[in-house]
Amino acid sequence: MISMHNVTQVYGTRCVLNIEDMSFEPGRIYALMGPNGSGKTTLLRIMAGILQPTTGELTGFDPASTGYMPQRAYAFGFSVLKNVTMALENADEEAAMEALRAVGMDHMAQANGSGLSGGEAQRLALARMIARPRRLLLLDEPTSATDIAGMGQVEKALVDYVDKTNCVLVFSTHSPAQASRFATDVVMLQDGVAMEMGDAKSVLLHPKTEAARTFLQHWQIRTEE
Amino acid sequence: MSTLWQTFCSLFAAHSELRQIIGVTLRMACTSTLIGCTLGITLGILVGITEFRGKRAILRITSTLMSLPPVLVGVIVFFILSRSGPLGQFRLLYSVTAMVISQVMLITPAAMNLAATAAGERMGQVHETMAGIGLNRKKQIWYMLYECRKQLSVILFLGFGRAISEVGAAQLVGGNIQYKTRVMTTAIVLETNKGNFDLALALGIILLLIALVVNVIAGRLQKGNT
Repeated sequence: MISMHNVTQVYGTRCVLNIEDMSFEPGRIYALMGPNGSGKTTLLRIMAGILQPTTGELTGFDPASTGYMPQRAYAFGFSVLKNVTMALENADEEAAMEALRAVGMDHMAQANGSGLSGGEAQRLALARMIARPRRLLLLDEPTSATDIAGMGQVEKALVDYVDKTNCVLVFSTHSPAQASRFATDVVMLQDGVAMEMGDAKSVLLHPKTEAARTFLQHWQIRTEE
Repeated sequence: MSTLWQTFCSLFAAHSELRQIIGVTLRMACTSTLIGCTLGITLGILVGITEFRGKRAILRITSTLMSLPPVLVGVIVFFILSRSGPLGQFRLLYSVTAMVISQVMLITPAAMNLAATAAGERMGQVHETMAGIGLNRKKQIWYMLYECRKQLSVILFLGFGRAISEVGAAQLVGGNIQYKTRVMTTAIVLETNKGNFDLALALGIILLLIALVVNVIAGRLQKGNT
């Protein structure tokens, strides 16, 4: 179990994140949702250990077994395959190829990373994340540049990965449709505060707070259902 | 073309000193580029990828030092290495080592500033990716160097260009001693003053050719990196 208690992040006089209590169970997929500036990326960066929170306590976090994929995927200027093996301690090419196959990038294994499109770079970055077992996987809008076909393949690869490794997967998204078909749990954030957290279907279909209702109504989740 | 080649061949055959001057020039320029760029690029990458208090001040200082007059560096090194200076006991004045020291002082701040800027530009994109993968600090610096290789090769050749073409500091701390510290730039000044325009011009052309070769290599490296 991974949990955080009284975690805050303050920039100057502005508090961008204020989490009283939040916990994540192994084998579950958590979708972080909320408008721009609601604290999704800040929360992911704190969980990844890249950002030190102003206050608070995090337990169960192991940096060595955590993977974080930032919003802007970056591909290094060498082969796609090496872009994946660089994340592996033993540079296992078989494991790297398997990860590339899972996200539909195996046919580009020998292509240079610097020539990839935004969507391809994003899938490559995801392959890097799933090429080895981790306890915690943090993905910041992992499919924002991916096409619909690729999105389905990536979501399947991530579900398979969670099933196989029993890790915690936390990802941020602006799409309630993606959250409903892919996440087991949803965390609704606004102004750095977790308004609601719970089973994906119940949060998305029956939001308890007015702010969450307004937020979801805006994206017409009920119509998509 | 063949006449020009014959002129050069006879010039080389007749002037053993010319070969010696070219040798000293290349030795001095290569050594100072290697030391200055290694120091400057390493410090620059570290400054570029690290956030700390005073970073902007350091970048401003190195930026100012980029336009440091070579003669001033020559005077400072002369003072430090002269018999009454703090390092006078090492008797380095009027040696190739003294010339290398002055060139390193000129190259290092420029290499540091340019490397810090190059690394800083890539920082946002690359750093979080590397940290997110879980790479250690050593690997992060290595991959950052790799990703900035194009800019770094430019820095290397800029440093070499500055070292090989510099005359003020080389003259002051090297003393332009025949068969010892005479380099192409100081020799050009001397031969011009003596009225040996053919030799001065030949030296100038050789200097230009070296610069051309270096530029071609730099261009090919950059092309290969893209």
